Amino acid sequence: MELKTKKKQVKPQRTFNLQHALTEAERCLLCHDAPCSKGCPAGTDPGKFIRQLRFRNVKGAIRTIRKNNILGGICAEVCPTCKLCVERCSRTGIDRPIMINQIQSFLMNHQYDIKFSAFDKDSVAKTKKKVAVIGSGPSGLACAAELALLGHEAVIFEKNEKPGGVLTYGIPYIRLSPETLANDIKEVVSLGVKIKCGAKAAGKNAVGDLLKKGYDAVFVACGLSQSNILKIDGSQLAGNYTWSDFLEMSNDPKLRAKAAKMVSGQSVAVIGGGSVAIDAAVSAKKLGAAKVYVISLEALDELPADSEEIELAHKNNIIFKPQCRIVKIKGDGKKVAGLDGTETEWIKKGLPVPSNARDVKGCEFSLKAGVIVHAIGSRVDSDAVEMLKGAGVKISEDNKAKVDASYRTSAAKVFAGGDMIASGRKLNTVAAAVYDGKTAAMAIHNFLTSTKKGGIK
Amino acid sequence: MAIKNKKIDLSVKFCGVNFENPFMLSSSPVSDCYEMCKNAFNAGWGGVVYKTLNLEKKFKVIMPSPRLNALHYDGKRVIGLQNVEQITDRNIKDNIKDIKRLKKEFPNKVLVSSIMGYSDEDWTELAALSEEAGADMIELNFSCPQMAREGAGHKVGQSYELMTEFTRATKKGTKLPVLAKMTPNITDMVPAAMAAKAGGADGISAINTVKAITAVDVNLLTPLPNISGNSSISGYSGAAVKPIALRFMAELARDKKLKLPISGMGGITTWIDAVEFILLGAGTLQVTTSIMRYGQRIVEDLKEGMLDYMIEKGFKSVSDMIGKALPTVVDPSVLPHKKQAFSVIDKDKCVGCGQCYISCMDGAHQAISLDKNRKAEVDEKKCVGCLMCYHVCPVDGAITYKYDKFNFKTH
Repeated sequence: MELKTKKKQVKPQRTFNLQHALTEAERCLLCHDAPCSKGCPAGTDPGKFIRQLRFRNVKGAIRTIRKNNILGGICAEVCPTCKLCVERCSRTGIDRPIMINQIQSFLMNHQYDIKFSAFDKDSVAKTKKKVAVIGSGPSGLACAAELALLGHEAVIFEKNEKPGGVLTYGIPYIRLSPETLANDIKEVVSLGVKIKCGAKAAGKNAVGDLLKKGYDAVFVACGLSQSNILKIDGSQLAGNYTWSDFLEMSNDPKLRAKAAKMVSGQSVAVIGGGSVAIDAAVSAKKLGAAKVYVISLEALDELPADSEEIELAHKNNIIFKPQCRIVKIKGDGKKVAGLDGTETEWIKKGLPVPSNARDVKGCEFSLKAGVIVHAIGSRVDSDAVEMLKGAGVKISEDNKAKVDASYRTSAAKVFAGGDMIASGRKLNTVAAAVYDGKTAAMAIHNFLTSTKKGGIK
Repeated sequence: MAIKNKKIDLSVKFCGVNFENPFMLSSSPVSDCYEMCKNAFNAGWGGVVYKTLNLEKKFKVIMPSPRLNALHYDGKRVIGLQNVEQITDRNIKDNIKDIKRLKKEFPNKVLVSSIMGYSDEDWTELAALSEEAGADMIELNFSCPQMAREGAGHKVGQSYELMTEFTRATKKGTKLPVLAKMTPNITDMVPAAMAAKAGGADGISAINTVKAITAVDVNLLTPLPNISGNSSISGYSGAAVKPIALRFMAELARDKKLKLPISGMGGITTWIDAVEFILLGAGTLQVTTSIMRYGQRIVEDLKEGMLDYMIEKGFKSVSDMIGKALPTVVDPSVLPHKKQAFSVIDKDKCVGCGQCYISCMDGAHQAISLDKNRKAEVDEKKCVGCLMCYHVCPVDGAITYKYDKFNFKTH
């Protein structure tokens, strides 16, 4: 099913061609010790690839991105660059920053136009070591790709029928083009990585079984695949969805019609103020919802979602209810019919955390809503927690795997990365997950090659 | 991982000297001292032509200030660069010490010692000093256009007898290969290069800077750079002079009598520029202005880009490419005149700006009109295929051309 707006078909824009990209690269100041290059959680070097493009070393520019970040195409589309590389751009001091993400997106697509591969697979010497990667999200993909480049055999076990994890199921297709997603996953596979879909590694013996089967190490990257539901009166009624269930439905071409039927003509209330809340809200609107509300404790200028996403929401007539909370979800029989809420304020100014919010008397409100989407965070799913515990991996209070600087868990031969580790990171991005994956791969490589007996110390 | 096809590299043999790649700093502010050359070697340059040595007992170099002016055009900075800088103002002892140290620390990199004398004895002495310091080659500076000493620099390059004589004097002091560096401020470079060859030159370097005035300060009524109220006609370099340099490249390389290896320079910034010089006959390449503008780091893109190009085109080595475009450079009198081109406009790409219309209407053959949607159309009967429209069109690929089947148009 194709979704249409009044004006034109909704399709992720592949806006830059070579001329655009070169023109934009010519705006780059080619800074010394480029600040943008220090802003990437995945360690990508925009200063370098833009310079390479500027000096017509187009293939070199593609190599710089792809070799550093196997998911370079995805990151170019979904990365909140305005908080990262673009935010640091020196050109901003003159007029406006360089559109780094657009240039990267162009290069990642151009690679296929000129039939170019950044990798020379024949030159990789095989080590005969095998590593199992659990989860095919960004961290797992990046880790497996890097391992393959280091000569190891990497096999990814993915519980879902399609690879990609949060990329496939948690990011709306209007923000990440399915073509880009498929291309980047193909890059990983082209390096010799095997991805086994519908292969759930679960249960307390899952990791141990893999090691027994002859894998020399295991990298666990299950992400945060269980989403939270607000525990209030009415949240058990039909019509309550987690953001991940909702986005999975709207993202899957097979389920999209069902999702559209569900929200069509309805009012949808999204609880939360982060990127996924906006993704869910915009997706609901695109699917045909009559009205979509985004209800958040944060004020508009405190929303964790980035400004581009908020702008996108405004363009789609999303109604923001900032500094509000839901008191009760009202039902009509067993189905959601609406909600009662109230405006809130911060007890102490400048501290936007739930415990610091209080209701403002006399500012209560009611809304009609047929669907409530809860976008208030996610957690490691219970199966994964069981698996971690069974493998002897120490976990934090919020059930995240504890790792050292080399992504090594407390269990022998077991490494972990991505959103499921207790990293203390404030901004969980695809780029950060990629960084985890490739850095962990390096650590696994060192582990596998440092001792004679397959790394057993 | 390495770039595919490991057999191919950028190494090249030039005048009997092995270069790991053909890219060198030219003799200029960028090769002024040990530190700069060391950094360049570490950055990946294959060689340096050290800034021209001087015997200060004969002539004390004092640099004017300010010594640069640049041409900025249409929002682009430093399209061309004018300088009034002369040869080194450092003393010969320090420079020789630096050359020795560089060769000791970087034995596999090529160091070319550029020299300038004022009498036969000077050239012989500087050549001997350079060889003793460990230089791999010698370049004769016959071409600095702004020496503050009469009869030096490009004045030598404009006098064939002096070039022969000074080259011969140099060869007396050394067994190293000797390159004569040419001035473009001359009608025909071939006889000048032949004069150097007569004196024993083993190769030619071209081009030095083009004499120019980049701008006049219209308030102070003085050209720039304004040096305490005065200015000079002096050397101009950078992207703006590349077409002039390429012309000399082709003329030198295709000459049947000269037959000397050429170290090419003049506005090289990208690997495409570099390949152009090689296709027209250069065997090694020298760079200054774009290093001053963008830094030594550009060598990474010069090398990577050229290697990718060679792999794509199937060239096995740099030498394989030398002069490959020369056979197509012919005299205008023998250009084929049988076919005529005309412009083809892709209306889907046309943005309706009318630049082609203006250029064709006021500067060409009134063959373009705009339709009711402002999209450009070509009247094939009027178009003579000059391609002015193609050159002014701001959209890549919107205007192309094809050959005409009609009779040749004479209007």
